[in-house]
Amino acid sequence: MLDVPHRPTESDHEPDHSSAPIAPSIMNGSVNSWVPHDIVMKDTWFPLAHGFAVGKKPVRRAIYSHPYYLWRENGVAVASEFHPNERRTGEKSPYTNAAGHYPVMERYGYVWGWFGRPEAADPAHLPSLPFLPPNGNLPKYLLGTVRFDCSAPLSLENLIDLTHADFLHANVVGDEKSESEDVEVFTTSETITMVRTCKGKSVAPVMKFFSGIKTPVQDIRQVIHIYLRSHCAIAYGRFEPGDDVPLFHPCVPETRDRTRLDYTMNTSNAGFMFRHIMPRASYVVSRQDSSMTSPQSPRYMREEKRRDLHSPFDSAGQKYRSLMLDLAKRQAVGDFDYRDNVSDDCSDLIGLRKELFRY
Amino acid sequence: MDSNQKTAWWAIARSEEVGGKKPINADIGDQPIVLWRDNEGIVRALEDRCPHRRAPLSLGCVRDNGWIQCGYHGWIYEGETGRLKEIPNMKDKQKFPPLYRAIRFGVHESGGFVYVNLDAEAAPPAPSTNTTYALSGTVAVALSHQDWLDALFDDPNLVLAIRGIGFTPYLMTELHEEQGRLVMERSCQWRLLHWPAPFSPEFPVTMLTATDPITGHTDVTLRDADFNELLRVALAPVPAARGVTQIRWRAEIGENRPGWMAKLLGMKDSFAVRPSVDGAALRVLKPSASRHGEELRANMLNKDAVAAA
Repeated sequence: MLDVPHRPTESDHEPDHSSAPIAPSIMNGSVNSWVPHDIVMKDTWFPLAHGFAVGKKPVRRAIYSHPYYLWRENGVAVASEFHPNERRTGEKSPYTNAAGHYPVMERYGYVWGWFGRPEAADPAHLPSLPFLPPNGNLPKYLLGTVRFDCSAPLSLENLIDLTHADFLHANVVGDEKSESEDVEVFTTSETITMVRTCKGKSVAPVMKFFSGIKTPVQDIRQVIHIYLRSHCAIAYGRFEPGDDVPLFHPCVPETRDRTRLDYTMNTSNAGFMFRHIMPRASYVVSRQDSSMTSPQSPRYMREEKRRDLHSPFDSAGQKYRSLMLDLAKRQAVGDFDYRDNVSDDCSDLIGLRKELFRY
Repeated sequence: MDSNQKTAWWAIARSEEVGGKKPINADIGDQPIVLWRDNEGIVRALEDRCPHRRAPLSLGCVRDNGWIQCGYHGWIYEGETGRLKEIPNMKDKQKFPPLYRAIRFGVHESGGFVYVNLDAEAAPPAPSTNTTYALSGTVAVALSHQDWLDALFDDPNLVLAIRGIGFTPYLMTELHEEQGRLVMERSCQWRLLHWPAPFSPEFPVTMLTATDPITGHTDVTLRDADFNELLRVALAPVPAARGVTQIRWRAEIGENRPGWMAKLLGMKDSFAVRPSVDGAALRVLKPSASRHGEELRANMLNKDAVAAA
């Protein structure tokens, strides 16, 4: 049974959503004219830190500029908006209980903090990550942290648009050449799933060098599964010949235009070299992504008259924008309900080879 | 300068720069100002222009009675009202019509800064709780006031230097309004061997800034992860002539500074405002916090205008 130790039964100071100003960019936003910078998702769990990073001494995190200080009391994680040494000068926010604590829980090797109405915090809203052991405990070499100076939705849009990888990350994952390519998109009100299937694609250099793949081409099935509210994504690649590479890719919006990514790449089933090297490829790939998303981000801070162009290859990204806007509009008018479950096991949806990840 | 700035209180000198013997000149935008202390130690501010033949009064001297004397023809003005008091050689005919006066400005002194308001009748600013930090300096930068502030918001590395500190692009708190000021908190690293900022899970230091939306006066607090205040700085950027920004600053090193890098902050010259800005880096600096600043400032000033109406 999951536990949420600091969830109050009711909010002591409920935010007045009805009178909060609604950004015009949310209500007027459209797929090719959106302002992801203005999207602030509430009533959701964010993976604030790897479990091992939280000890007796407070560490600091942020969600949309709201401070989260994390530490353990008798081994149990605490998330507070005040540092124990801080001289409190202001009022506590409406997102914490009377003690200034946020709802918090631990699962999959992460400390998750709730952002939104405290009384709505529920483990049922935690994303399903079936390729990670529920109690964590994966070796540290599978974990890492990277940061992006862009808004979290842009970072996720970058992820779901896999065609960029063939150009920006060709030296890691291979170029765009393949015999056939098929993209399917599945959605709910809370998730979007993109499945890209390629036959006869150039072998990813990282697999050529560290996994010993000798064939000139390989078949791949890549899935990107995004939990819209929590900005968490699963990126699961199955390579034949090759390895399974499931990545938990959470884009925590520390501010509206800075993103923190405490990732876990569970390559524990791969060979020794690949298992150790591949998680570190994030340091290369993230810099390549950042070279584009960083200059992009200020250009998505305000409404613009010019609309973005798009091609048929952008269908997943377009759908992602549309779903995010739908959710943001609902939240803007005070509707925070989950219309679809996010904690149901998504193994089948992402095509997880369960025999490799028995937890 | 916009209308709000024309009636703002600007820190145009550090207290120790203004003495009772030799006047100094300063400026707010294109308005030259002469400053001196009268014989009661009160700072006086007049237009730096003798109404007689337009010579700068700052080239004159302060008389024993605390009045200022033009260095050209010796006309003498009293600081509180700006009225002409004496013309040399006129002996006993020293009575002048009220028109014979230099333009005077409002003056207020606190926290080790001399504040001047171009509106002489302006109400004094709210009492400052600032103590006077011992360290201080003045730097003139060939950058407009707003551009300097934008650089401070987007990348402090371009405008400030703190011993051993590297400012990262990552924020703990984006720019937001807090009690009428623009507040943000930026993560910093010690300049040591460590993971590059984009891959660092934790940052040991943050820099908290609180900026006045009109004058850009900024209180800076550098603090470590345990909330020890390592350094406190008051930055007072003032638009000066020819698009130059003069930044006067005062600083104080915190007493409790655990760790040897923090201890090194106690050495001389641990804080500086850069006298020039790297144009190549500034050109490609991406605006993010400064865009928030622009919008917040507009909203705050608009709110004030509505309230005043």
